[in-house]
Amino acid sequence: MRVLLVDDSGTMRTIQKRCLNKLGIEDIIEAEDGVQALQYFQQGQYDIVLTDWNMPHMDGLTLLKELRQLNRDIPIIMITTEAERARVVLAIQSGVSDYLVKPFTPEGLKEKLEKWVGVSA
Amino acid sequence: MSACAPSAPNSSLTAEYVNPIITATRSVFEMMLGCVPTRTGLRLKEPGEHSHDVSAVIGISGRAQGTIVVSLTRESACAVVERMIGEKETEINAVVCDAVGELTNMIAGSAKAQLAKYELSISLPNVIAGHNYVMHSPSDVQSMIMSFNSEIGPFWIEIAFTGF
Repeated sequence: MRVLLVDDSGTMRTIQKRCLNKLGIEDIIEAEDGVQALQYFQQGQYDIVLTDWNMPHMDGLTLLKELRQLNRDIPIIMITTEAERARVVLAIQSGVSDYLVKPFTPEGLKEKLEKWVGVSA
Repeated sequence: MSACAPSAPNSSLTAEYVNPIITATRSVFEMMLGCVPTRTGLRLKEPGEHSHDVSAVIGISGRAQGTIVVSLTRESACAVVERMIGEKETEINAVVCDAVGELTNMIAGSAKAQLAKYELSISLPNVIAGHNYVMHSPSDVQSMIMSFNSEIGPFWIEIAFTGF
């Protein structure tokens, strides 16, 4: 399984990457913003995308919409501080597969990722 | 951690945005750092008051405007990194700045969610590291400083808002 992991924070990418490693996922491509993520997505094959919302150059919502133009079925999970109901609804309407609000416990992150990658890992 | 009852002017309005920040700080620390901070003080910021070793600044816009600044000592900031990703740092570097910025991002984001009626947006964090720097707010905005203590050490949250 190959994961595209998108967050402008290296700290947050490390936390998520370690959780993925514990689930047996090692093939993880990291992007620092939506522009870089979109380039990587167009150049490779991925099984799932994890993305932040607030990022420089291209935010996660715009990235989500761009990715859905390219692939309607790939699981895309948004991991973000945006917690208001209106924001979650907007993400769902834009095609997000699942949503996790920061801050999260290690168990919360594991449970969310297991739902999408655990079975295949 | 008790709710805020500051003695600053317009205390009910102040409590409206201070209490969500206290709640957000508590939940972020508990979930991401495994400890519950204790608020030790709330006061008005003195003119020319120096900040600490590293500060992350997030701008707030919408029906209210302002800034949230989370400041830590070098030791506390390095402890944040160790708690979040298990890496031992001893100096303020890019890794430490990123972790402090992300911590502040989560505090501001969580507080914003509690203040949904103000339709707030938050900026990306900017992080300042150094010694004896002074952060200035616009002249018509009064900054308040909340001080905390925790297992990772002391830290301070400076808030300055208009529109509440």
